Amino acid sequence: MSVDALTPWPDTVEWRSVSPKLITVELIVRWSWTVILVAGLCVGLVLQGHWLWKLGIAVVVLNSIWRSFVTFRAVRAWGYAERDQDLLVRHGLLVRRLSIVPYARMQFVDVTAGPLERAFGLATVQLHTAAAASDAQIPGLEPAEASRLRDRLTALGEDRAEGL
Amino acid sequence: MTAAGPPQPTAPPEAAVVEPRRRLHPLSPVLHGAKSIAVVVAALSWQTLSQVGLERFALVVAVIAVAVVIFSIFGWLTTGYQVVGRELRISDGVIWRRNRAIPLERLQAVELRRPLLAQLTGLAELRLEVIGGGKTEAPLAYLTVREAAALRQRLLALAGRTQSVAQPTDQPADAAATAPTLERPLLRVRNRDLVVSQLLTPQAFFLPVGVAFVVLQFVMEGSWTFVGIASTVTAMAGVLLQPVRRVLQDWDFRLARDPEDRLVVRYGLVETRSQIVPLNRVQAVGATWPLLWRGQGWLHLRLAVAGYAGEGGGDSKRSDRLLPVGEFDTARSLVWDVLPGVDLAALATSPPPKRARWLNPIALRSIGVGLTPEVLVTRWGLLTREMQLVPYARLQSVRVVQGPLQRMLGLATVYADTARGRSGQAKDRDLAEAYALAAELAVRARRARTPQPSQS
Repeated sequence: MSVDALTPWPDTVEWRSVSPKLITVELIVRWSWTVILVAGLCVGLVLQGHWLWKLGIAVVVLNSIWRSFVTFRAVRAWGYAERDQDLLVRHGLLVRRLSIVPYARMQFVDVTAGPLERAFGLATVQLHTAAAASDAQIPGLEPAEASRLRDRLTALGEDRAEGL
Repeated sequence: MTAAGPPQPTAPPEAAVVEPRRRLHPLSPVLHGAKSIAVVVAALSWQTLSQVGLERFALVVAVIAVAVVIFSIFGWLTTGYQVVGRELRISDGVIWRRNRAIPLERLQAVELRRPLLAQLTGLAELRLEVIGGGKTEAPLAYLTVREAAALRQRLLALAGRTQSVAQPTDQPADAAATAPTLERPLLRVRNRDLVVSQLLTPQAFFLPVGVAFVVLQFVMEGSWTFVGIASTVTAMAGVLLQPVRRVLQDWDFRLARDPEDRLVVRYGLVETRSQIVPLNRVQAVGATWPLLWRGQGWLHLRLAVAGYAGEGGGDSKRSDRLLPVGEFDTARSLVWDVLPGVDLAALATSPPPKRARWLNPIALRSIGVGLTPEVLVTRWGLLTREMQLVPYARLQSVRVVQGPLQRMLGLATVYADTARGRSGQAKDRDLAEAYALAAELAVRARRARTPQPSQS
């Protein structure tokens, strides 16, 4: 049986991916930082004129270009699936992670949206359990989907909730 | 449907009887004050003493102590607690008033602590462990021992109410019939074993080496400098503090089962603690075989209870002992008691595949994971062998993580998270096996959870 680390149980689990708009958001964030960094390095270059500053700029820009390509794949690597009893979340390219969080263990649900996310109509849903280690975070959801997920999760959580 | 809100069929009769708000014991401010004297003296240090002279020093300490006592009296006046329905309400604070309602269904464990001064005055401190609390919620300091014990029984009875209502087995009736007086002793750790076990720690081994070093130094130099001796003694005291503290804390360790099938743990010499943990609140059990104890075949067991996680840090603060030291057979029967159906001797684990040797060059054979009908068993450590038992019913979530190196080798690590910090960890399994394990854990956790809600 061959298993792909990105999509476990492909035949039994229906994986949903996050909105591709998340790529744009991440790219904007990445390049804003790049611009700020490059600007800072340029100031250094103008003041001092050492060749190390140029090297720094080149490294920063190349890194950003490479990371931008990775972003495309990284966003596609995010995925979630709602099963009868639990929520599955997978993400990560370099370090691949899959979380299985039973609805019954859910303590509360967070829906957050930063200013940039809001501009693109995205939101992040995060599930919290009593264990600090469990991370079930799904970024890049359409608001409608985010609130649907939140409502569904809370409803299921209430249904199946129990003490620890 | 266990943790429900106000519309509980059982709630109204209790809520109707509103009992008065109660105060802590009148001696508590004095005890708090006495405690702070020690702190003040330590803070002022010997140096100050030599500078200002004994009389002035005593005066300063006395003034501070009186101030603390007065402040504590105000604190005592404003502190009160009452049980309302299935909540414990505590109000305290002199400047910032605080009212807390602690839902008792979230109660994990209750501990009765008696520091030295409290032992002399017949008082006790009641500490509640509540899930979600960053630290121990509501230490009620101090109550009389009888009052504290009664309150504890009452809180535990209220906390356990839903379970017994939810599953109308013959158990509650049984418990009611036998009256809550008889405890069944499970074990008692011999103090001699405890001392020996703490002598068999790296710190204790360090002592003769340190003494030899100091003596050697004196012989070589031929002079006994005061600074030399003092600093050596201080250093040694620091090193030895942990084993000594352990001995003092775990002194006279006794374990019992109360009629409602809860675990009663008592221990301590200077500060006695008696802790009651309902068995369904046990998140995990950890077993450790330290290297130096192997000759004796000893091990120690830890109990993971949610709520203690936040305290972290100081080993002294946590009360997570299940067995400070003991032989394998003792531990085996104990584990059988705490996690019914789990036999410590029959926990088979399988090691990760051979190619994981690249990631664990030395300790590959000591890593292992196994599934029994009740618990997930994980094992690791070459010199100090450790084992973690996590009951499926207590699993919070399951994670599969694959790092870049693991990906090259086709391996992955499975984590089984519990509400208590450390999670069961199946390291470096084959990828297909890891996913199968995760799926299996999810299924087993669900199956272990479901019987209870389905009845109500």
